[in-house]
Amino acid sequence: MTQIELRGVQKFFGAVQVIKDLNLKISDNEFIVLLGQSGCGKTTTLRAIAGLETIDEGDILIDGKPIQHLKAADRDIAMVFQSFSLYPHMSVYENIAFPLRATRKSKAEIDSEVRSVAKTLQILDLLDKKPSALSGGDMQRVAIGRALVRRPKAMLMDEPIGALDAKLREEMRAEIKRLHIKQGSTTIYVTHDQIEAMSLADRIVIMHEGVLQQVGSPDEVYSRPANLFVAQFVGSPVMNVADAAVAETASSVSVTVGGAASGFEFPRALLSKLNGHAGGQLALGIRPEGVLIRRDAAEGFLPVETQIVEPLGSFDIVDLKVGSKMLRARTKSGFVSGPGEKVFARIDPAQAHFFDTASGKSLEVRL
Amino acid sequence: MAAVRTSSEIGFNRVAIVAVLMVTIIFLAPIYWIASTAFKPRNLATTIPPTVVFQPEISPFVKLFTKRSQLRSPPTPEEYAAAPWWERVVFDGGEKIVRDGKDQVQWSGYPSRFLNSLIIAITSTVLAVGMGTFTAYGFSRFKVKGEADLLFFILSTRMLPPVVVAIPMFLMYRAVGLNDSHIGLIILYTAFNLSFSVWLMKGFMDEIPKEYEEAALVDGYTRMEAFFKIVLPEAATGIAATAVFCFITAWNEYAFALIMTNRRAQTAPPFIPSQVGSGLPDWTVIAAGTFLFLLPVAIFTFLLRNHLLRGMSFGAIRK
Repeated sequence: MTQIELRGVQKFFGAVQVIKDLNLKISDNEFIVLLGQSGCGKTTTLRAIAGLETIDEGDILIDGKPIQHLKAADRDIAMVFQSFSLYPHMSVYENIAFPLRATRKSKAEIDSEVRSVAKTLQILDLLDKKPSALSGGDMQRVAIGRALVRRPKAMLMDEPIGALDAKLREEMRAEIKRLHIKQGSTTIYVTHDQIEAMSLADRIVIMHEGVLQQVGSPDEVYSRPANLFVAQFVGSPVMNVADAAVAETASSVSVTVGGAASGFEFPRALLSKLNGHAGGQLALGIRPEGVLIRRDAAEGFLPVETQIVEPLGSFDIVDLKVGSKMLRARTKSGFVSGPGEKVFARIDPAQAHFFDTASGKSLEVRL
Repeated sequence: MAAVRTSSEIGFNRVAIVAVLMVTIIFLAPIYWIASTAFKPRNLATTIPPTVVFQPEISPFVKLFTKRSQLRSPPTPEEYAAAPWWERVVFDGGEKIVRDGKDQVQWSGYPSRFLNSLIIAITSTVLAVGMGTFTAYGFSRFKVKGEADLLFFILSTRMLPPVVVAIPMFLMYRAVGLNDSHIGLIILYTAFNLSFSVWLMKGFMDEIPKEYEEAALVDGYTRMEAFFKIVLPEAATGIAATAVFCFITAWNEYAFALIMTNRRAQTAPPFIPSQVGSGLPDWTVIAAGTFLFLLPVAIFTFLLRNHLLRGMSFGAIRK
């Protein structure tokens, strides 16, 4: 049972505040991913939990006990670094045995534990090799092995597969997930790659400029982003965001973006849910799959012109000119033949998000 | 790299080989000269034109290690037959080995000077490299207030040539009784090498990624343990390179040794030339002394050659 809790954690590097009042509870066996751009404080947070970085204020608790004053060695936490940090002068065996040697276990115990971890990770045949003789993926396995062998209270991973090439990254992602399900240890994983975050996490913690933006399951952060930053950071291709003007029409509500001649049709319920925000400082967010297009005119569809078409294999991303704005839509591949084509588009109200542009916060409108 | 070499590349290669050969010959000629003179009979050492082909002799080395005097009359055949081989080669040169009242062979000044050189150079190298490694680690890993100034200060101790400070140092040493002592020269050489050692080791320390130690810290070790178990083995290459440079400096040092020592703690560099001045110089003996003096550095460097080569290209092959 390992619960980790951050309470009001603050961290300064000189005058720069890199972690701002961070509060987070991580439950036992949970796989938490800290997601954010470089410099957002995610790695510093991880290093603070590991004990490699001091914090200026707040508490870090493991199982309810504050540990921020303990040395890294006394926290019983293991860490996998982006650079793997395998000790180059030691064999794979020695690398994995290294954390156990600090615990004064007997030789036989160490040997059996190293071999059992190596078996789990399928690196038994590499034990005599030096790290320099290993491939990237194998180095990564050894690094994970070194972290696992001590059965730590928690595993911290700092972009552990960031240094691998795309194909291997996908493989190792699956392997990390498999391993977590099998070993079930509380894990905190840092990455800037949202696909990694989505595929691995039980809960994603999104950080920006030292501030926690949203904590939630992959589905939550994707379909209910708390603010504009999360909305545009999570999801690829990126969510369309445009300043919107809302006007009441005879039968419905019209939402105009980019100063276009006519607006998209929304149900009347929108007005009450916007709660007075209709007058401005309002942004519409819509993921490309929420922009629906068809070739012939239909009720509620606006005529638009296609601009750039990006074929991505299983689907295409088409830029549509709506007033002065570009909306990106996701279509079946080959649906639009090229730029300059006239098509008809509407926005799926169920997939639309509305944000207050002043605060950036979501207005939590669900239609 | 092109698989097929162009004719201009081949031409450049040949020129390069010739150039390297010439440089090598220029560098090795004095060493060859010393080595060959060390094995020459005395009468062939100073011939003009120089003798290149000769029967090598061991007599210069016997003479180097022993005290000798001129023979007034040649030894009797019985005396000659009873003498060991190394004494006969001295008889052949018209000299005899000086013995004390108990018939013990009297050593020349050379062995003790050579031993002094070894003791002083090795001890000061160990101290300079050891302290330099710790200091460099500190500068490399921790935020030290005024780091740039401190590093410059350390370097500035090397800015004056030894000759300039030798006389004041001598007066200070005499005042505290450190002149002509092993400890005195060891302190001097350690201080002299330390700045070099700190700077060189800092470069090597900076090359060792911090993550190695951080991994060790998380793996349950203290910083001290991480230093000895991870940083030191990783820095072995740099330590070897630094040690070679420090050893060579201490081994070859002449100015301080000349002024600070005269008997007890005198090292080989001031002793060897002092023999030139005593009577008619025997160049074969001086060459033998010089030749032996060259060996420790050559052996030390040879033993560490793999580390040295890696050390020179440290940054290049690391990542």
